[in-house]
Amino acid sequence: MSEHSIELTINGRRIAATVKARRLLADFLRDDLHLTGTKRGCETGTCGACTVLVDGRALKSCLSLAVQANGREVRTVEGLQQGDALHPLQDSFLRCGGLQCGYCTPGMLMSACALLAANPRPDAEQVRAGLAGNLCRCTGYTQIVEAVLEAAQEPRHGD
Amino acid sequence: MNDFDFVEPASIAEASRIGGDLGDEARFIAGGTALMLALRQRMLTPTHLVSLARLAPLRGIELDAQGALRIGALTLHAEVAASDVVRRHAPMLAAMAGQVANPQVRNQGTLGGNLCYADPATDPPTCLLALDARVRLASHRGTRELALVDFIVDYYTTAIEPDELVQEILVPPLPTDATGHYARHLRTAAEHRPMASTAVLVQRRGDICTDARVVVGAAAPVPRRLARAEQALIGQRITADCVAEAASLAAAEITPLDDLRGSADYRRQVVRVQTERTLSGLFGLPVR
Repeated sequence: MSEHSIELTINGRRIAATVKARRLLADFLRDDLHLTGTKRGCETGTCGACTVLVDGRALKSCLSLAVQANGREVRTVEGLQQGDALHPLQDSFLRCGGLQCGYCTPGMLMSACALLAANPRPDAEQVRAGLAGNLCRCTGYTQIVEAVLEAAQEPRHGD
Repeated sequence: MNDFDFVEPASIAEASRIGGDLGDEARFIAGGTALMLALRQRMLTPTHLVSLARLAPLRGIELDAQGALRIGALTLHAEVAASDVVRRHAPMLAAMAGQVANPQVRNQGTLGGNLCYADPATDPPTCLLALDARVRLASHRGTRELALVDFIVDYYTTAIEPDELVQEILVPPLPTDATGHYARHLRTAAEHRPMASTAVLVQRRGDICTDARVVVGAAAPVPRRLARAEQALIGQRITADCVAEAASLAAAEITPLDDLRGSADYRRQVVRVQTERTLSGLFGLPVR
């Protein structure tokens, strides 16, 4: 039942908090910090709705403890937008219709963000492989893949 | 998920003593992707999680003086997949690591954690058995090395003692003319765990197969080399019939799992076809 003082950077802000050992990173973000963009879906590491970046790597925050993120840099969907300007991926998802209900979208965006940082000019097959850990039950994926390919043409995608 | 204490020892000796003192009440956590599922479903209810994150001796990938790959237990699947030294010295291992689960799990899950969990529905053990891999176990009592085949005892069971942890995975140098391939079959494209996997490493001189390792995993409780399939290849002229015979023997030799991912009969069929295709591809025969 240990409690832990953790310090981490979330979307560029230093955060200090005290968490129970069993606090999931997903719950810490949503319930303690009210960053509710990150979604909880399957809770079994399958759907990818809870995907966030930790030190630049996409991972599933429902399979991570908050205490494991101590000292790390976390980026959530709330960290994509710069002021009033949407991130190119957010913009392309809008323009391409890369969402319907929107529940999987934050996770899709974060996986796509990590993919483009590692591979700025992916082909469609590489986009599908990069999003293989994210499920969407509405779109059939076609417009999501198109949106990521379109964002890859933008100059700012690596942000 | 039940409450637990989370501790982060700074040395192998300290981690080992905690593991030894608490036994089943403690669980080591590396990436935690598999452990977290077991905790959340209350299949495991430890009082302590012992994080290995601070243990530097469990990190890094290097080629030692004997030409063996030494992969630290905390190496992420994504790091194995991207490693230049792994790609050069064990390309089938790097290719396998790039297929494990999904990108997020590859970014969090570790090779050592994967082996310790001994889940049959996974990729690394099958591939590592074909590479004759060994594991170095460390505790406050010292270290010992075990062949991977002796480490994986049964379904979710390894030969590790409560005070031991996997420090590194050793992949001996491959014969220069050996070629290998790892193949996996998924029940559906959306499934992230294999229902059958085949890893093959072969050597040939002209038309003759001079050595072969054939391993099947995921279709059975533990991955194992299949001696009869190997013997059907070694010393034989490489033909479609010879490969088909070896694949049939492989399918006959396993004791298949029978579960939601596939019935025992279906798994045998998949193993036969997958083994035949993998061997045919390696030998440059038409793939049926």
